[in-house]
Amino acid sequence: MTLPARITLRTVTSLLVISLLAFAVISAMPSDPVAIAIRAWNLPSDGATVAGLRAQWELDRPFIERYGSWLARFVRGDWGISFRTGEPVLAEFLQRLPLTMTMALSGLALAPLLAVPLGFFAALRPSGLIDRATRGLAVFIQAVPSIWLGLILLYVLGVQLRWIRPFTRDWTGLILPVALIALHSLAVLTRVYRRDLLEVTRQPFFRTALAKGLTRSAALWRHGHAHALYAMISAFRAEASWAVGSTAALEVLFGLPGIGQFLVESIAARDYPVLQAYVMVVAAWLLVLNAGVALCLGWLGPRPA
Amino acid sequence: MRRTVSTLALLLIGLMLIGAVWQPHDPDAIDLSLRFAPPSLDHWLGTDQLGRDVLARLMIGGWRTVAVLGCVAAIGMVGGTVFGVAAAMLEGWRGALILRAGEMFIVVPTLVVALTAAAVFGLNPVTAGVAMGLAGIGPYTLFAHALARRLLAEPFVQAARAMGVGGSGLVVRHVVPNMAPVLFAHIGANAGLAVTAYAALAFLGLGADPSRPDWGAMLFEYRMFLFDHPLLMVWPGLAIAMVSATLNAVFDAH
Repeated sequence: MTLPARITLRTVTSLLVISLLAFAVISAMPSDPVAIAIRAWNLPSDGATVAGLRAQWELDRPFIERYGSWLARFVRGDWGISFRTGEPVLAEFLQRLPLTMTMALSGLALAPLLAVPLGFFAALRPSGLIDRATRGLAVFIQAVPSIWLGLILLYVLGVQLRWIRPFTRDWTGLILPVALIALHSLAVLTRVYRRDLLEVTRQPFFRTALAKGLTRSAALWRHGHAHALYAMISAFRAEASWAVGSTAALEVLFGLPGIGQFLVESIAARDYPVLQAYVMVVAAWLLVLNAGVALCLGWLGPRPA
Repeated sequence: MRRTVSTLALLLIGLMLIGAVWQPHDPDAIDLSLRFAPPSLDHWLGTDQLGRDVLARLMIGGWRTVAVLGCVAAIGMVGGTVFGVAAAMLEGWRGALILRAGEMFIVVPTLVVALTAAAVFGLNPVTAGVAMGLAGIGPYTLFAHALARRLLAEPFVQAARAMGVGGSGLVVRHVVPNMAPVLFAHIGANAGLAVTAYAALAFLGLGADPSRPDWGAMLFEYRMFLFDHPLLMVWPGLAIAMVSATLNAVFDAH
């Protein structure tokens, strides 16, 4: 099998397994969906309505049959009706997804662009200014929760300095959340890139390159960059997962109408079509991103020495 | 340096554990005559919008954070060891299946698993800790598998095998005792992340119960007073950052 075919197969199986697990966990919810729907939609709570809803949602059929018919409907684009809003879940997600994706992906895209030069100069002069600054940033950013940092930035930039207007509805509202995501990924990726560049400097071939008259920076770039890039792309996966996971908290903090905010609003109402859709969207998104990374690594070829 | 960091960490965990049994004030006692009191001798960190003692609430939150960390570490240790060693011992398709499953779960963010669990079973430190622990099993299995494979190839394990020690004997006597400290340090290196993840979860306030103050929930509550009383949101944030930074420092040195 070719690499793209193998990666596609793995992505689809992973998505199926995750969907089955999520469906099982959500079905195990202790509260009764029929009771929730009757309350949420103001239906009469008589035997006929209950029986009707149970039949419509196939609640008395075996689990695996229910999963099968849910999957068939999901693939066709019927994601169910939200208990809370009474609207189709798919429409709501389509409306909100662009914001969440813009936020997470622009933050994630910015990070490697800045991490390569920063990591390179940090490795060029270990214990130099850039090295110490990026180490400090990494220690800081890994300990300080992004929601708190967001609050502090809101206070300093929004209240004290008045550089930004918080909670605006246009694109400027995205500046802080994108910066927070980018900063976290930047700190981690810079350290990974630097670490692997320095690893190369201890190799005999690096000394040979220096002996042949290459400057340290030219030797680092020519012999270290590909090696360190490989490690950085691998670390990028974990960062992507972190970024997508933290969008919900950032959306709530900054009042952005993305899918995470929709989920949080829906959870109190035990709105499980929304919950299931959220898990599916996030899993699909990250699986596609991972497949992209795997393709990139395959395209780079085997890891250079 | 190492000693200082470790002592500091023990001290911090000790302080957080004290919160389980003792607080300077009743954390839920409302006193509207004392709203937004600044730090004083009686209320070291001041009081909040309902006149509740911030330090007392912080201490309860600390104890709950320790409970989460305990669940995450215990589940990660046990799950990672069992599946990792099993994958290393079982050659062929069974081992491969375990590894494939482990790889699959790296993709799903811990926070999303914890969100789902909180939505289904309600948010408390135990469900959050169990969900985050289960989410960690995948990556820890892969890590433990690599460790166990390396150990199984070591001469002393080969020697034991040549002397007739069977599979379970190898695992119990040689593999697990030698890999446990390394796996623990690896899990510890992610403990800081668990602290901030639980804070994010509590911040989202899933099934939030105001009588049970979590650090993240306190951030959510106090962010309303960002403009007039910014000091209120400093304390829980500082607590999260301190614990997380200390844990990172302790385990980073390994």
